[in-house]
Amino acid sequence: MTRPLVEAIADMREDDALREVDTQLQNGSDPLQILEDCRQAMSLVGQRFEAGEYFVPELILAGEMLKEISARVKPKLTQTAGVKKHGSVVVGTVQGDIHDIGKDIVVFMLDVNGYEVYDLGVDVAPEKFIEKMKEVKPDVIALSGFLTLSYDSMKNTIAAIEAAGLRQGSKIMIGGGTVDEQIRAFAGADAFGKDAMAAVALAKQWTGGN
Amino acid sequence: MATSTPALAPVAGKTAQQLFAERTKRIEDALQLKQPDSVPIVLFLGYMLAEMGGITRQEQHEDAEKENRLLEEAARRFPADSVTGLLNNPAAPLAVGDRMTRFPGHGLPPNGSFQFVEGEYMKPEDYDAFIDDPADWSIRKYWPRVFPELEGLAMLPPLGMAAFGTYSLFDLGVMKAPPVAAAFRAFANAIEAGAATDARLIATVQLLAGEGVAWPPFAGCPIIEAPFDFMSDTLRGMRGIMLDVHRRPEKLLAAEEKVLKFELEFAINWCRAVGINRAFIPLHRGSDGFMSFAQYEKFYWPQLKALQLGLVEAGIMPLVFYEGVWDQRLKYLAELPRGKTAGWFQFSDIYKVKEVLGETMCILGGMRNSLLQAGTAEQVRAETKKLCEVVGKNGGFIMSTGIGEMEGCKPELVQVWVDAAKEFGVY
Repeated sequence: MTRPLVEAIADMREDDALREVDTQLQNGSDPLQILEDCRQAMSLVGQRFEAGEYFVPELILAGEMLKEISARVKPKLTQTAGVKKHGSVVVGTVQGDIHDIGKDIVVFMLDVNGYEVYDLGVDVAPEKFIEKMKEVKPDVIALSGFLTLSYDSMKNTIAAIEAAGLRQGSKIMIGGGTVDEQIRAFAGADAFGKDAMAAVALAKQWTGGN
Repeated sequence: MATSTPALAPVAGKTAQQLFAERTKRIEDALQLKQPDSVPIVLFLGYMLAEMGGITRQEQHEDAEKENRLLEEAARRFPADSVTGLLNNPAAPLAVGDRMTRFPGHGLPPNGSFQFVEGEYMKPEDYDAFIDDPADWSIRKYWPRVFPELEGLAMLPPLGMAAFGTYSLFDLGVMKAPPVAAAFRAFANAIEAGAATDARLIATVQLLAGEGVAWPPFAGCPIIEAPFDFMSDTLRGMRGIMLDVHRRPEKLLAAEEKVLKFELEFAINWCRAVGINRAFIPLHRGSDGFMSFAQYEKFYWPQLKALQLGLVEAGIMPLVFYEGVWDQRLKYLAELPRGKTAGWFQFSDIYKVKEVLGETMCILGGMRNSLLQAGTAEQVRAETKKLCEVVGKNGGFIMSTGIGEMEGCKPELVQVWVDAAKEFGVY
């Protein structure tokens, strides 16, 4: 049987979910168990998104619920939970472009699929990507963009990664509603993805995750 | 100094007037779902002009002479039916300190691309005031929030007090307060800037018309949005609106009803005043992938359909930019009255669009920008041929790029495209 908190979050019953958390905290439940329930619920939300049952409103509401629950649980936490990750991904919307919707969905889906995600935000300069790559040595780099101008930025970013000597052995995907095979070749990426599910599939393929 | 460039060389011995009439009819026929003499091709060159002319995008926005010269050169080089440069201008936004746009040289490098900065400019707690009286809320609460130069408007009395006749005049003294006076001055500056932008656009289309180039289909149109997008784009923002779908659906629907009513009145009045019978409706969140069918059927489509039908009833053709991918939603568009609307499709499968909507509306678009940026001449030629033959079949097709901004497209590939359209597009 599914736990009530998992069900409430996954079914988008925000009030019920928060009430359940409050009750559990008052009853002295283990805060780590509450976070584990959240993780399971998010994974269900991801699955329903993949199945075409959930869309952007549900991803955003799920993110909001998670934020609210974390704020309530955090003061009670004495230890942190260690979850084994499949791999790490550095993500960002490339320089000159401030679109974040697609990128945020990719971050959400990679996260619920067990990846350590480093989100650099929007309008990210090539140097920022390189800096982060040196710091965390990610398995995958994911460049997002929506404007046609981003094609050049993707190309420049990948060229800069190459010039920094980091292209060898790195896996780079590009994504955004406007990219296609033409742009993948133009930018010099390893693959392109049409949506967040494609991003997850590519990450799994490259890191051997399942 | 726009006249310093020589007139366009006559095409096939035709005068500029003949060419203009011929091209205008070609576009008109296609819009009316008829079969013209050939597939019209329209270029929304945008920032590609700056790239071709070696000027910055900021210069292109702010120097009409330079842009007009580049437009004339482009029109000479690419014999398309209509050729357009930039349609937006930073002058009015700068006059009020607009927080929701960034222009090259103003919050962006001189060669950046114009962008909207979406935000939650309307808070959840603003819904009641918006629904109760959108005008009062917009002018006294919203403008001061998004246009810093208009902050003084927050000191105005409730706008309903204007109905108090002579007594309302007794309140006029408040307008003398420095922040209010400053806001009115900034507002007057924005009006001047807006009028100058209009004058520039009119001068440009006239200049090009004098060279035989037809007006773009959207010239002079009022811009309105699907009521859902209206609430999303400049008010609640993406995150806010998507939460509203779950947290306050009834308020969102009530707000959309208000928006639908005043948007229709605005567009109809505009069209009558300007003498134009088209309205431009760019869409954003209705694309596949943003919401479920159930949500789309509740929050998006009924209001968008009512907006289009209201315009059609007033004799106005909605020109709708279906941004994103609408492949799963084409069946809804097929409900629209035949030949009364037109659809510009950004990334939808254009062949499927023709199949489902070919009898319903004129289709604009077809050419992928990525192909003009990173494809080969052979690919561009082959795709143009296929577009002319399949999407152009029986008319009702205006060829353009899917994205109405051709920055980054290679001039030599655009050349191949236009030439191929003229070769394969003849009926």
